[in-house]
Amino acid sequence: MEPILSVNGLCKQYPEFELKDVTFEVERGSIMGFIGRNGAGKTTTIKSILNLVHPSAGTIRYFGLDFLEHEKEIKQRIGYAAGTANSYKKKKIKDIVAVTKTFYDNWDEDTYQHYLELFELKENKTPEQLSEGMKVKLNLALSLSHKAEFLILDEPTNGLDPFSRDELLDVFQEVVKSGATILFSTHITSDLDKCASHITYIRRGQIIASLPMQEFIQTYSANTGSDTDTDNIEDIMLRLEKEARHDPITE
Amino acid sequence: MIQLLNKEIKLASSPLSFLFLVFACMTFIPQYPILVGAFFVSFGLFHSFQAAREADDIHYSVLLPIAKKDIVTSKYIFSVTLEITAFFLNTVFTILRMTVLKDAAAYQTNVMMFPNPVYLAFVLIIFAEFNYFFIRLFFKTAYYFGKPFVIFAVMAFLTVGIGETLHHIPGLSFLNSTNPADLPVQLIILLCGILIYIIVTILSWKASIKSLETIDL
Repeated sequence: MEPILSVNGLCKQYPEFELKDVTFEVERGSIMGFIGRNGAGKTTTIKSILNLVHPSAGTIRYFGLDFLEHEKEIKQRIGYAAGTANSYKKKKIKDIVAVTKTFYDNWDEDTYQHYLELFELKENKTPEQLSEGMKVKLNLALSLSHKAEFLILDEPTNGLDPFSRDELLDVFQEVVKSGATILFSTHITSDLDKCASHITYIRRGQIIASLPMQEFIQTYSANTGSDTDTDNIEDIMLRLEKEARHDPITE
Repeated sequence: MIQLLNKEIKLASSPLSFLFLVFACMTFIPQYPILVGAFFVSFGLFHSFQAAREADDIHYSVLLPIAKKDIVTSKYIFSVTLEITAFFLNTVFTILRMTVLKDAAAYQTNVMMFPNPVYLAFVLIIFAEFNYFFIRLFFKTAYYFGKPFVIFAVMAFLTVGIGETLHHIPGLSFLNSTNPADLPVQLIILLCGILIYIIVTILSWKASIKSLETIDL
C-alpha cells in the first residue's frame, strides 16, 4: 500500500544546523513516533513537510502525490497540531472555527460537535484561556472535523502534566482506530511506549533509524537476550545519544 | 479568496484600521497639512499587520488548504479596499471644499495645500508608498514590521513636505489653485497619481508573493 507520507532526501542548511538527507515513510494506520533530542531537527523536518520552510533538496509525497504540486488538495486531507500553536489567542473559539471551517470541503459539523463534547471544549473561551493540553485538543478537534486522514503533531505533549499526557495519548489511539494516521514528534519518549507503532529517530539532522516499534527495540536494545529485560525507547535513546557523544565520526 | 477576506476582517484585522478612516476628514481642517490624513489612514492599516502578526495569522493561514500567494493577495485586497474607501471620502470632501464650502470664511486664508485633484494625487502616492515600502518589505520576513514602517513614514512625510512646498515655487502655483481654469491640468496630475498607485501596488503585490514563496516561516 502507498505510504501516507514519503520523505526522500530532504536537506536544509542553516548557519549552525543542517538536515542531511532525511528519508522516511509513514504507513497508513500507524502512529509514527518522531524522536530526537531538542534541536535534533524534528521541528525543521515537520516545518519542511508542511512547506513552512523550504528544503534545499528532497521530495515530499503525501498519499502518493507530490506535495508542492498538490499542496491545496493535500492540505484538505491533513491536520496539524503543535504544543506551541497559539493563533488568534484573543478570539473566541467559535469565531475561529466559524472562519476556519469555510476552507474545508469535508467539514463535518456533527463530528466537530462530538469532539467539542468529548474534549470538553467551551466555544466561548479564547485560546489564551485554554491550558496547553486543551489547545492541542482544540487543534485536534479542528483537524478531525475536516476528516483529516493524516495528523502531524509537533511535540503535542510538551508542558502537559502526566494525567493530561496520558489522556491525550488515549485520544491518539482512538483517532487511529477511526482510520487516521499520526506522525507524532516528541522528546518525551515515554509517551511513545504507550501508543507508537513505528519509530523514526533523528540525531543532529540525520535519520538514524525508521522502523516498526518492535524492530527498533530489537535492533537497538542493549539487552536482546531476554524478553523481560528489554530496553524501552528512553533507555535506547539515552544510550545512543551517549554513544554518539564519543563517536563523532558517525555524524 | 472570499473566505480569506472573511478571515482578514474577522480574525486578523484591527478595528483601528477601520476607525482610522475618519482621518480622511482631515481634508476639512483649515490651514493644516491635510496630506497627513493619508499617513494616518495608512497608520490604521499598519495596526492590522501588527494585530495579524501578534495573532500568528501568517502561520495559521499557511496551514490552511490555500495557495501561499492567496495569503498575500488577501492582505493587499484588504489594504487596497480601505485605501480606496479613504480616497473616496477624500474625493467627496475635496469636492465639498471646492464647491459648497468654497467661500467659507475658515478657508479664505491658507498657505498650505488646498484640497483639489493634485491633493488627491498626492494621497494616492502616499498609499502607493505604504504598499511599496511597508507591505512589500513586511513580506520579506512576514514578521518584522518596524523598519518597513519607519521607511514608509519617512517617505510619506517627505511626500507631504514636497506636496506642501511645490506650489510655493514660482510657476507651480497652479498646483494649489482652486481656479476652474487650472482644473484640466490638475486632473491630468490626478490621473498620473492613479496610474502610479496602480502600477506601484501591482509591483509591490508581485514582489510580496515572491517573498512569501521563498522565505522560511
